[in-house]
Amino acid sequence: MADYERRNHGPRGGGGGGGRKRRYRDDDDFDRRPQRRRYEEPLFVQVRRQLLTIAESAARKVEDDIIGIAKSVAENFDDEELRETFVNISLDLVQEQPMKIPFVAATTLVAYNLKAELGAEKHIDSGSWREVKLVLRFLGGLQPLFEGDGIFPLLEELFARAVDLQTASSEDLLGLELVKVILFTIPYVMSSPATGFETQAMGLLEKTDIIASTPHALVDLVNTFSPEENKEAAGPSVISLLQSQLQGEASRGWELKCLPGVQEIEQDEQDLGQKFFEPVNKVSFPQINVPNPVQNGARPLFPEVYISVFANQEIDTVPPPSDVTSLLLRDALVDTINLLDFNRVATAKYLIDVDCYFTPDTFVKRATPFDRMRDLAGLGQSWKPEDVAVDAVFSQLYQLPTPEHKLVYYHALLTECCKIGPAAIAPSLGRAIRFLYNNLETMDLELSNRFLDWFAHHLSNFGFTWKWSEWVDDLDLPAIHPKLAFINGALDKEIRLSFAQRIKGTLLEPYLPLITEEKEKDTPEFKYLSELTPYSKEGQEIMQLIRKKAGDEEIEPLITAIEEQAQSLGVEDPKVPSTDALMTSICFVGSKSLSHVLSCIERNKERLLAIGPVSQRARCQIIASVMEYWADQPGIAINIIDKLLNYTIITPYSVLEWALSESMKAGTVLAKAHIFEMISATVGKVTNRMRQIVVARTQSGLYEPQLSVLEETLSRERSEMQTLFKFIEDSIVSVAAGSNDELMERGDGSGDLPEDAIIRQWGRRWLRVFRRKVAVEEAFIMDSLANATPVGTVAPMQADDGNDGDIKITDADGQ
Amino acid sequence: MSLLQINTVDRLDRPSAYYAGKNKRRRDRDDEKEQEDPNSKLHNATTLYVGNLSFYTTEEQIHELFSKCGEVKRLVMGLDRFNKTPCGFCFVEYYNHQDAVDCLKYIGGTKLDERIIRTDLDPGFEEGRQYGRGKSGGQVRDEYREEYDPGRGGYGRAYDEQRAREEEEYGAGR
Repeated sequence: MADYERRNHGPRGGGGGGGRKRRYRDDDDFDRRPQRRRYEEPLFVQVRRQLLTIAESAARKVEDDIIGIAKSVAENFDDEELRETFVNISLDLVQEQPMKIPFVAATTLVAYNLKAELGAEKHIDSGSWREVKLVLRFLGGLQPLFEGDGIFPLLEELFARAVDLQTASSEDLLGLELVKVILFTIPYVMSSPATGFETQAMGLLEKTDIIASTPHALVDLVNTFSPEENKEAAGPSVISLLQSQLQGEASRGWELKCLPGVQEIEQDEQDLGQKFFEPVNKVSFPQINVPNPVQNGARPLFPEVYISVFANQEIDTVPPPSDVTSLLLRDALVDTINLLDFNRVATAKYLIDVDCYFTPDTFVKRATPFDRMRDLAGLGQSWKPEDVAVDAVFSQLYQLPTPEHKLVYYHALLTECCKIGPAAIAPSLGRAIRFLYNNLETMDLELSNRFLDWFAHHLSNFGFTWKWSEWVDDLDLPAIHPKLAFINGALDKEIRLSFAQRIKGTLLEPYLPLITEEKEKDTPEFKYLSELTPYSKEGQEIMQLIRKKAGDEEIEPLITAIEEQAQSLGVEDPKVPSTDALMTSICFVGSKSLSHVLSCIERNKERLLAIGPVSQRARCQIIASVMEYWADQPGIAINIIDKLLNYTIITPYSVLEWALSESMKAGTVLAKAHIFEMISATVGKVTNRMRQIVVARTQSGLYEPQLSVLEETLSRERSEMQTLFKFIEDSIVSVAAGSNDELMERGDGSGDLPEDAIIRQWGRRWLRVFRRKVAVEEAFIMDSLANATPVGTVAPMQADDGNDGDIKITDADGQ
Repeated sequence: MSLLQINTVDRLDRPSAYYAGKNKRRRDRDDEKEQEDPNSKLHNATTLYVGNLSFYTTEEQIHELFSKCGEVKRLVMGLDRFNKTPCGFCFVEYYNHQDAVDCLKYIGGTKLDERIIRTDLDPGFEEGRQYGRGKSGGQVRDEYREEYDPGRGGYGRAYDEQRAREEEEYGAGR
C-alpha cells in the first residue's frame, strides 16, 4: 500500500527518477496529478477554496455556495484558523474580484459575523479610491448587520469632503472621484437585504446632483469623439450618467435588476424554515476616520466618459446608457480587468463568466448569435454577455488620456478571451471593429491609432484573417480618407509583425495593389547605383568605405568632394547632399537588420554627431535620408529615427521640422499613420524625460545646492518642451484652418477641392491630440511641483550627529 | 493594479520553473551552504529570454512586438554556434524592470510570427549566451524532436544525422 501511494506523488514527491521534465510554465499552471485522499483536507483549506471559487460555476447554484460556506463557518466558529481564513479571503476577494462582492457579502451575512478590522481606513489614507469603493461596496452589502444608519454617515462624511474640494476649485477632480465612490456604493446598499434606507439614499442623491451633473472642463478633452467633430457620438461623463441613472432607479423604487439579490436564498429560507438574513445581534459600523483634507492617489485623475462600441446597432445587445445596468456592469468589469492585470487568463475567464455574477435574467445565453437577439428583442430586455465583456475591455483601450495599464495588456486580454471562447467572442469583436471603422473620421486621432495598433496585433494572433470583403468599396476613396488611411496603416502594421508576402496571401485581389513590389524587397535599392542620381560616384564610394569599416580619414575626402561639387552647382547648403550620401549609405549597408544599422551608426557616430551643430538643414536631411531609404517599410525607418534620437544625432525638434514643415505636402502627411506614430514617440520621449526631471525635483529630502541645479534643468527642459508643442500647434493650426500656403496653392486655390475638407479635418484631429498632451503634461508638472521643497531650502542640522556637533561647538566657544 | 501582497489568482509574472530548477541543480552540485534566494538576481532584472521563435523571425519583428511593453534597450538574437544563423531564441533587454515584468504578463504566451512564444525573466545577457548549446549548434530542444516543425528546421537534428548515417550504411552493410 505504501508503495502504491508513493506513486501518486509523482515526480515532485521526492521519489526521484522518472517523471516528465518540467520545462515550461504551463506545466506549473496545471498540475494534473491525480488527487486522492481528499478527505484529509483541513476544513479551512476547503472553505478557502470554496470561497475563492464562489459563484464561478454555472453548474452549481450560487445560493448553495453561499449557504454551504456560511454553514461551515458558523458551525466551526471556534476554529481560529478557519475564522481568519474566512475574513482574510473575503477581504482579498473584495479588493481583487469585485464581481464577487455581492456573494461574499451575502456569505458573511449568512454567517452572522463580521470582523471590523476591514482596512478601509488604510485605503482612504493612501488615496486608493478604487479600493475604498470596493470595501465600501462590501460594507454596503452588509448593511443589515449594522446598527442605526450603517454606512450612510460615512458616505455623508465623504460627501462633505467632496464639497470642500469642489468649493475650493471648480477644476477639482478628487471631489468628483469621491462622489463617484459614493454613488457606486448606493445601489449595492439598496440591493442588500436591508430595508428602509430609501430616504437616506434619496437625500444623498439630491445632494450629489449639483456636483455630479455639472460637466467638468476636461470632459471634452478626453472624449472618444471630439464634440467639435461629432456632437452626437460624444458620450456623457460617467459620473453625470450615473447620477441620472440612480435618480431614475430611485423613482422606480430601486429595482436594480442586474445586481444579484438574495431572493433565491429567501426562497430557501422559507423551504428550510430558517432565517438567514436577520442578524441576532447587530454590530456597530466600524469606526473609519476620513482625513481632512483627503489625499490624491498615485494615479492622476481625469474625468471618465462612457463609451460603448455597440452603440447604435439595430438591436441593442448591451444595456443603453439610460439603464443603470450599463454602468453597474461596466464598473464591476473594469475594476476586475484593471485589478487582475497580472493574470490575463484568469481575467478573461471572469469576463466570459460575467453572467454567473449577476442576476440570471440580466443576460441571454452565452454565444447567442446576433440574429437570434432580434427574435429575443421583444421578450424583455436581456443583454449579450460577450458584448458586455468586450465593451468593457474596449472602454479601457479607449480610455483617455491613458488607461491604467499598458495598451498591450488590453490587446492580450482580448486575445485571451478569443482563445477561450472563439465562437462567442469573435463575432462580438467583428461588430466592435465595424463600429470603430465606421466612426474613424470623427474619432479622436489618438484612439483611431490605438485601434489600428490593436487591430493589426490582434490579427497577428489569429492567422491574419479578417473579412476584407467588407471594405472593398472603400478602396476607391481618396488616399487621404481616414478609412483608406486606416487600411493602409493596418496592412503596414501587419507586415511589420510578419512579412509582406505572408500578408499579401491573406488579402483579396482588390487589395493587392496596396502591397507594392517595393514593400516585398528586403533590401531597398541604393539610389547612388543609378548614374542619374547626382553625386552617384561619390555616393557609391562612401558606401563601399562604410561597408569596409574604413576610418573617418578615408571618408572625409569624398564628403568634401560632394560639398565642393554642390557649391559649384549653387546648392544653398552643400552639407545637405553630402549628408544624404552618408546617411543613405549607412542605411543601405545596415539594411540587413536593426543591429547591423546600429553598429554602422555607432562606427560613424562622431561624424554624424558633428553634422547637427553645423547645419540645421543637414540634420533634417539625416531624417529625410532614412525616411526616403525606407519609404516602403516605414516601421524600420521610424525605428532608426528613434535610435538616432537616443544618440542625440538628431533632436526632437528636427524630427518635427522634417515631418510638419519639410514634408507637410499641403497637410496630406497628417493622414499617414506612421508619421503620427513617429511624432507621438518623439514627443513621448521629451515628456518622459520631463517627468523624470520633475520626479527628481520633487523627491523629498532634497536641499541646496542640488535644488537650484534641478530647478534650472527643469525650467530649461520645460521651456524646450513648450517650444516643441508650440511648433506643432503653429504648423498644424494653418492646416486645420485651411490657411496653409501649400494647401491654398493646390488646385484653383478656392479651398473647395473635395480633399481639402478632409485635410482640414486631419488638422483639427491632430491639434486636439497635442493640445490634450500639453494640458496633461502641464497638469502633471503643476500638481507635482505643488508639494516640492522650495528652492533655497538648506539642509537642517543632521539629527544623528547633530548633538555631537552642538557639543563640540559649545566646547569650542567655551575655550 | 491590485494592492494585495498575496493574490487571489496566480500571477503570470513569476520566474519560470525552468529558472528555479536550473538554480537548484547548480546549488546541489556546488554543495554551497549559503541558501541565497535564487530569485534575488531577478528583482531588478530588465532582460527577458524569449523562446520558441521561428528561425525565420527577424529582429524587426521581435522589436515591433516587444516595444509594446516599453523601449527596448538591446536585442540579442540567439545564433547557431556553427552557422551563426538565428536558432529560435533571443534576449530582449529593456531600460526598466517593470517593462520586463509587464512583458511576462502581456506578451509571454501570445503569438509572434504565428508561433506562441515563451518569455522568462533573465538575470542578464552575458557574452557567449547567444549561442545554442545543442550538439549540432542550435538549441538543445531542436536535437531530439520527433514532430516536424517547419519554423525550426524540421525534425530533430540528431535524427537527421542518424537517418543520414543509416542511409549511407545501407549499401555497405549488405
